[in-house]
Amino acid sequence: MADQYVSVRNLRFLLHEVFKVSELSRFEHYEHYDREAADMTIDASKQLSDKLLFPILTEMDRNKAYFSEGSVKVHPKLRSVIKNIAEGGWISAHNTFEQGGQQMPLTLLNAALFIMYAANGNAAAYAFLTQGAANLLQSFGSEELKSAFIPKMYSGDWQGTMALTEPQAGSSLYVLLSTAEPTEEGHYKITGQKIYISGGDHEAVDNVVHLLLARIKGAPAGTKGISLFVVPKLREENGALVSNDVSTAGIYGKMGQKGYVAAHLMLGEGSDCRGYLVGQPHMGLRYMFQMMNEARIGTGLMAAATASGAYYASLQYTQERAQGRPPSSKDLTQPPVLIIEHADVRRMLLFQKAVVEGSKSLLLQCSYYADLEMVASGEDKQKAHLLLELLTPIAKSYPAEMGIRSVSEGMQCLGGAGYCDDFPLEQYYRDIRVNSIYEGTTTIHGMDLLGRKVLMQDGRAMKLFAAEVEKVIQEALKEEALRPFAGKLGQAIKDLGKTTYHLVGLAQQESPEVFLADATLYLDFFSLVTIGWQWLLQGVHAQRGLATATADYDRHFYVG
Amino acid sequence: MKLLVCVSKTPDTTAKIAFKDNNSAFEEDGVQFIMNPYDEWYALVRALEVKEAVGGSVTIINVGPAANDTIIRKGLAIGADSAVRIDANPQSAMFVARQIAEYAKGEDFDAIFVGKETIDHNGSEVGAMVAELLDQPYISFANHLELDGKVATISREIEGGVEVAELEVPFVLSAAKGLAEQRIPNMRGIMMAKRKPLKVVPPTAFEDQAVVVSYELPPAKAAVKMVDPENLDELVRLLHEEAKVI
Ligand SMILES: Cc1cc2nc3c(=O)[nH]c(=O)nc-3n(C[C@H](O)[C@H](O)[C@H](O)COP(=O)(O)OP(=O)(O)OC[C@H]3O[C@@H](n4cnc5c(N)ncnc54)[C@H](O)[C@@H]3O)c2cc1C
Repeated sequence: MADQYVSVRNLRFLLHEVFKVSELSRFEHYEHYDREAADMTIDASKQLSDKLLFPILTEMDRNKAYFSEGSVKVHPKLRSVIKNIAEGGWISAHNTFEQGGQQMPLTLLNAALFIMYAANGNAAAYAFLTQGAANLLQSFGSEELKSAFIPKMYSGDWQGTMALTEPQAGSSLYVLLSTAEPTEEGHYKITGQKIYISGGDHEAVDNVVHLLLARIKGAPAGTKGISLFVVPKLREENGALVSNDVSTAGIYGKMGQKGYVAAHLMLGEGSDCRGYLVGQPHMGLRYMFQMMNEARIGTGLMAAATASGAYYASLQYTQERAQGRPPSSKDLTQPPVLIIEHADVRRMLLFQKAVVEGSKSLLLQCSYYADLEMVASGEDKQKAHLLLELLTPIAKSYPAEMGIRSVSEGMQCLGGAGYCDDFPLEQYYRDIRVNSIYEGTTTIHGMDLLGRKVLMQDGRAMKLFAAEVEKVIQEALKEEALRPFAGKLGQAIKDLGKTTYHLVGLAQQESPEVFLADATLYLDFFSLVTIGWQWLLQGVHAQRGLATATADYDRHFYVG
Repeated sequence: MKLLVCVSKTPDTTAKIAFKDNNSAFEEDGVQFIMNPYDEWYALVRALEVKEAVGGSVTIINVGPAANDTIIRKGLAIGADSAVRIDANPQSAMFVARQIAEYAKGEDFDAIFVGKETIDHNGSEVGAMVAELLDQPYISFANHLELDGKVATISREIEGGVEVAELEVPFVLSAAKGLAEQRIPNMRGIMMAKRKPLKVVPPTAFEDQAVVVSYELPPAKAAVKMVDPENLDELVRLLHEEAKVI
């Protein structure tokens, strides 16, 4: 087992020096979050991760979740892990004081979450899945629904899920078939099935609350006829919890994230599955989409954090394993050097660092926009909203796709040991793979970026983005060491502009098929420019830090 | 129960240790500080458990400069009700013990908890000194504490066994591993910490009789010697002549 899975120093650098999270306290909503509160939050997350999450990372993979006698068995410590995360106040941390939360900025919460995901995403994900489901209810549910479900979700006693996917409806939800039939009592009778539902059923909680999409009988076809329901596994009747006719047909045998269950659910086989409508009829997809940015940033975090674990495990190995000689040494009697001495091993390590820390920076940047979108006003709010919309497909897909490559390089650093299960690399490699599939495949995000986001408000988001990049380029030009990089990024943003212009032109001349054919490649290119921007931003702040650092420890950090 | 918990600041376990001023002082620049784990995990948490069981209050006390407020507020975030900082540079164990005892004299605490030692100086002195200065009984290295009214039953590990003592409040105890289990501050605690009272008190004058002249790092570890598995005689020779372990 490796000793380290995350760099807290790097997180502090991003939080305090790059994004200056405590400056959010100028907004009344976040007034309590000064630097000290932020540091305490990060420390608490690290302590929890060290104590409860990291120690069972491998165990959860080896003793995977399994389905037996009608119920889903999970790691025996999972119940206390979920409970501890809940009691720590993490599930509700971002919510308002009135809602039982702590009004924590998303930037800070996501930095803390990054630590937990790096320690053991398979365990932490259960709690943060509940957070997403509870937020949906919090935003759109009636007071009655909120009080019936949210307290038990915040306390970690009940699991929350997002139940969208069906056998015929994956990337395209408009063909959804699950139905909801109104009853005189006010609830709906639900029938249908849902597949791949994360956290869909397991023994570490007392109940499972599905935020489920279904079509009300007689509703219009397509996305406009989809509504959102709360469908609990057990419903309350006369003070007792009874079955709500949601059964588990089985769980999926997955390549990775083996401790994090994905279930196949059957609804209403006995015609007794009750669903409670959330908000207005036919608004389900719209409600879901309003929560998507958060969920997608969450997936990006999971991917980048997994790659972080792999990076530190491979870094440690390369500092312990001796093999080979430097190319210039001809003396065979000399002992072998540590493999970190070899240039190509360093390249593999630096590649991982570039992906992990570049992704982390972008994810916190997006979280910062989400915070501003919530608390700022006027032009600033609009701007944050548009930038978040534009960059979310990248914040989800870049860590997911490049994370796979990054972990692969990590595995390569270990040679044969990387491929064998005495070391954690092979697990990280399996675990990270799914991030580019769920929460929308990379293809879907490519099409979202090119087909929707770039064109939004006549390309306004793109213009705002270019201006943000230009701002950082100007700052970087003031630093001697960064000038060449500033020049390259300047060229890259021009190329991106030209490519976009060309593709948008195609949209007018050719069919949508031609326009969107290379959307994923466009996403790749856009992502590289975006991550380059984040690296240059970090470079500017590292140069400033270096100019004032007095301790060797800090100097080493800023130099990289 | 009115309880006082003494907390100190120590470098993080992973910090690189270096000295300045002719090796007479610890180089704090660039070092991440934490609350001494014996104070945080065992002394403070057991005090909180006692308060939760029988009522009362937990105050934490630190002798140190304003920079220590961060550590103190972590104690408040974990659950202490109030804090006191004696505004002085802690020069020696005796200096710290004097300051704490002076403060405690006027406050009538039922018990004072300290960690069994700090993880930097490992002195294990402050608790005993405070007890002496207050003329109270002292139990060191406590790993179990039960309270029944005013009577405490405290166990401590001794060589080859366990010693159990019974005594009445007030007393001073030093906390060892096992006395409680580490608590991680929750988000509510972190938010509340800022609103809890942190009183800053000037130090009482005290002339230290001992002065630190210098610190030294342990000698660097010698490089690992690889011995060919075929050459056991060489291994035996090295263990005998160089390592002198056989
Ligand atoms: C482990 C795991 C956990 C999951 N958890 C959940 C969950 O909690 N809740 C939930 O609701 N769902 C969940 N999912 C489902 C997940 O969101 C879907 O698998 C995903 O959206 C893709 O849908 P699909 O599997 O049907 O693939 P398909 O949609 O069939 O896609 C197959 C391929 O075709 C491509 N494709 C599809 N449509 C288009 C198009 N229009 N243009 C171009 N290419 C296209 C895709 O990009 C992909 O490469 C989970 C899935 C997994 C594997």
